[in-house]
Amino acid sequence: MSVRNALLGLLLQHPRHGYELRAAFEALVGGKQNWEVKPAQIYTTLARLEEAGLVVQQGVEQESGPAKRIYAVTPQGRAELDAWFETGVEGAHQRDELFVKLMVSLALGSDIPEVGPQQVIRAQRSRLYQELHGLTAQRNAADPKSELAQIFLLDKAIMHVEADLRWLELLEARLDDICDQPLPEPEVKPRGRPKKMID
Amino acid sequence: MSTVSTDNLTKIYGSGPTAVTALGHVSIDVQSGQFVAVMGPSGCGKSTLLHMLGGLDRPTEGTVSIGDIPIAEMPDNRLTELRRRKIGFVFQFYNLIPVMTAVENAALPITLDGVRPAEAQKKAAEWLARFGLADRLHSRPDQLSGGQQQRVAIARALVAEPSLILADEPTGNLDSRASDEIAGLLADVSKKYERTVIMVTHDPRIAAYADRIIFLKDGKVVDETVLDTSTTESAVMLAEKIQGMGD
Ligand SMILES: Nc1ncnc2c1ncn2[C@@H]1O[C@H](COP(=O)(O)OP(=O)(O)OP(=O)(O)O)[C@@H](O)[C@H]1O
Ligand SMILES: [Mg+2]
Repeated sequence: MSVRNALLGLLLQHPRHGYELRAAFEALVGGKQNWEVKPAQIYTTLARLEEAGLVVQQGVEQESGPAKRIYAVTPQGRAELDAWFETGVEGAHQRDELFVKLMVSLALGSDIPEVGPQQVIRAQRSRLYQELHGLTAQRNAADPKSELAQIFLLDKAIMHVEADLRWLELLEARLDDICDQPLPEPEVKPRGRPKKMID
Repeated sequence: MSTVSTDNLTKIYGSGPTAVTALGHVSIDVQSGQFVAVMGPSGCGKSTLLHMLGGLDRPTEGTVSIGDIPIAEMPDNRLTELRRRKIGFVFQFYNLIPVMTAVENAALPITLDGVRPAEAQKKAAEWLARFGLADRLHSRPDQLSGGQQQRVAIARALVAEPSLILADEPTGNLDSRASDEIAGLLADVSKKYERTVIMVTHDPRIAAYADRIIFLKDGKVVDETVLDTSTTESAVMLAEKIQGMGD
C-alpha cells in the first residue's frame, strides 16, 4: 500500500513516466539502499492504479528509444491520496518472524539441540548489531544541511533496531523461565461437522 | 600484534562462603587499534575485567598482558609506571578536579609525571582542540556540559600518549545526543589516532560504534560479535596504511 500511494503522490506532484517515477521514489527515500523498488513493481503498480481508475495515461514521451507512457492522477486518485494522508499507519509488530522462529525452536527442543533458542537469540543479536553498526555509519555520514529527512529515517531505523536489541536482552534474561513453561497447545476440535446433540 | 590479552583470567572477591567469583576463566585477545565494547547484565564482571586489564587490581588466577608484557605478577612500582605510560582511563562521572581548568585537568597525568606545566598544557591543549574544545581550555568543569567534561576526561586519558584506553560506561551519565558524540569520538581515538579502546556499555546504540562486542554473563564470555566497518571506510584506511608504509 505504501509504495502504491507514494507513487500516486509523486504523480500528483506532476505527471511522469515509469522510469522517472522510480527515480523520484528512490530519491525521496534517500536512495535504493533504503528502499529499492524494481522496475517491474513500478509497472505493475501503474497498471493496477490505471485499472482502478486512479491514474490515466496522458500521452507519451518519445525522445530516442521506446515510447514512454506518461501517467497523471485522476480526481478519484486524488481522493484516495487524501484518505491515505488522513489515516494513521498501523504498527505491525505482532507477526514477528523472530518470535515465531523462537517458538518453533522451543517446540523442537531437544530434537535440534544444536540450534536451540539461545542460538536463535545470539544469531539475531549479531545480525541486529551488524545492522545497527551500518545504520550508525550511514547516519553519521549524512549531511544534516541537505539530508535531514534521510537522517530522520535512519534515526527511526536505529531506534527500532535498538528496541529489538533491548527486547532480545529481556528475552535472554528470562529464557530459562520461558523454557520451563509449557508451550501453547492448540485446542483440538473434532473434525468435520459438529454432531447433532440428541436429547 | 595484540595489545591486550588475558588467559584464564579469574577474579574472586572475598573468601569462604561469601566469596564472589566476579570473573571466571576469561581468555580474550584484543588487536592493536581495535575498538571493543564489553556488554552484559549488571554484576556480570565488566568493571572487574577493566580493572584487571588496567592493572588497577590483581587477578586471583590467570594472566593479563599489555603489549606482550605480563602484568599480573608485576611489582607495584613497575605496574604503576606502566599504567601511567601505556593506559588511559575514562569513567562514567568524568572524575575531573573541580578547581582546575579543562587544560589543567587534561595536562594533569603528565604534570604529575614531571613534565613542565607549560609543555604539559601545550600537549593537553592539542588533544582538547582535536576534540572541539579549543575555545574552552580555561573553563572549569562546572562551566562545561557533561559531554564536554567527558571530552576533557578523554583528552586527559590520552595526554601521556598511551596505546590503550579503558572506558567504563563513558556515556552512562549523558543524554543520547552527547552519548553519540562521545562514542563517535572514541571510535576516532581508535581509528584516526590508532589506539586500542575497550569500552564497557549498557547501551546497544553505543556498542554499535565498536568493531567488536564481547558479551559477559556471570563472569564468563558467553558470546562475541564482530562488526564490519563499511567497505568505503576500510578502503580509506587501507589507502592510508599503504601511504604510511612509504615514509
Ligand atoms: N571490591 C569488591 N569486593 C567484593 N565484591 C566485588 C567487588 N567488586 C565487585 N564485586 C562483585 O563482583 C561482581 C562483578 O562486579 P562488577 O562491578 O565487575 O560488575 P559490572 O558488570 O561492572 O556491573 P555494573 O553493570 O552494575 O557496573 C559483582 O557481583 C560485584 O558485587
Ligand atoms: Mg560496572
